[in-house]
Amino acid sequence: MAYRYLFEQMVRRELRQKYKGSALGVLWYLINPLVLMGAYYLMFGVLFKVAGPASPEHYPLFLLVGLVVWIFFSQAVLSSAPSLLDQGALVRKARFPRETIPGSVVTVQLVTFLALIALLTPITIAFRGTGAALLALPLILACLFAFVLGLALAVSVLHAYFRDVAPILSAALLPWFFLSPIFFDPATLPQLSSETTAIFVLEWVNPVAPFIVAVRDVVYDGVLPQTSVLAYVVIAAAIALAGGLALFRRMQGELAVVV
Amino acid sequence: MRPGEIVLEHASRAFSVKADRGRTLKEMLIGRRRAGGPAPVEALRDVSLRIEPGETVGIVGRNGAGKTSTLRVLSGIVPLNSGRVACGGQVVAQLELGAGFGRDFSGRENIFLNGALHGLSKEQIEARIEAIVDFSELGDFVDAPVATYSSGMFLRLGFAIAAHLDADVLLIDEVLAVGDEAFQRKCEARIADQIADGATLVLVSHDAALIERTCRRLIVLDGGEKIFDGPVDEGMPFYHRLMGTADEVPPVPCEPGERV
Repeated sequence: MAYRYLFEQMVRRELRQKYKGSALGVLWYLINPLVLMGAYYLMFGVLFKVAGPASPEHYPLFLLVGLVVWIFFSQAVLSSAPSLLDQGALVRKARFPRETIPGSVVTVQLVTFLALIALLTPITIAFRGTGAALLALPLILACLFAFVLGLALAVSVLHAYFRDVAPILSAALLPWFFLSPIFFDPATLPQLSSETTAIFVLEWVNPVAPFIVAVRDVVYDGVLPQTSVLAYVVIAAAIALAGGLALFRRMQGELAVVV
Repeated sequence: MRPGEIVLEHASRAFSVKADRGRTLKEMLIGRRRAGGPAPVEALRDVSLRIEPGETVGIVGRNGAGKTSTLRVLSGIVPLNSGRVACGGQVVAQLELGAGFGRDFSGRENIFLNGALHGLSKEQIEARIEAIVDFSELGDFVDAPVATYSSGMFLRLGFAIAAHLDADVLLIDEVLAVGDEAFQRKCEARIADQIADGATLVLVSHDAALIERTCRRLIVLDGGEKIFDGPVDEGMPFYHRLMGTADEVPPVPCEPGERV
């Protein structure tokens, strides 16, 4: 790919620009999620101990694994939305594949995510053991990356034309967070035990849910996700990436005029 | 398309000049139209031209005639509303001083970024970087953040990069004016070298003397339309008459203080 080096340069720009001048610099990318994870651990592992027959055995780890996936998804998509505007000067004055802009944002978030997963997985294994299923993790993570990248491409180009996309997204992510199976496993919630429709919606209508479940199955439970979950993950990734790319290419023509 | 060939066929492009162009989804859904406001500006109206590889073309016209829009369309940054545009080969555009520079990065880092923007690899850029830094004459400043640069330094860096990119088509908007005389001459010499190597030059300038020195062909734009396309020695008088700056009588040379 002729623009491979451009992509590296865009990632460098993204890394530098955000935290330029701060003492910790690039480390802030890691510190924010770590602090968040620490806070959740404090809440649900120490203060409000979640325990009971229906709740997972090592609840803090159960929560953190799901949380890390969510952080990657939400941060990548939220940061991609204004990315074309942030790099507006470049878009208006030079000719280059503009997909590299949201692509570099997602890549920077991916690096953070991989660092967090690399931290979390050995800890989880130490407490809960593991299995050969862990070998499926790279595939699941690749699908997650493709899924998030597709969404980031779509969101970035839409926001350039409709400036309320980022605020709407920001507002939607909060309830979306609570409805995702991060704090709970829908199938095991006592209040929902007979509400099969509700369980179905929570598990399948939310496109992020199967990704969270797949990663958690492999890292926390040490088992392969169900075939239906795996299939959903692969198909959602393919659709999101293809759709996101197509939408971006369709709409990117006037970007130099609107950003 | 041969490298260096430029084609515009019935090219039209208009720009909206309404304030507050950013639409919102809310507006789209509620369907409220914002009526009134100024009409779109037709920057290019059915412009057709064909430039052969190796030609040197100057574009002149009033402010707002469509010169910069032509370059933006030729470089592929802005699409046409209708018609066709094509530029063969590697297109290198100098449309604005410091365009595409990251303010917090040093000149050297921006050389790498700019090279990457044009599709070069790290090795390709490394092979040229000493030549680029030499040409710019920036010395130690090349390692300072470009946020500290003057406009002349932006030109030096930008032009030095553009001059070493193996361009087939060189599109230069009114940027050379900020260079000092010595550097301007250096740029012109370098442009001449690139043209000798087969590059095509399209130069937009208000500096008539520069155009006369550098270009063989002149295009005059007015209100988005092409009103002259021909040899530069016929075109310049036409342009001066258009602008009302033509001298009726050639000036008489005299010494300072001498009465004429």
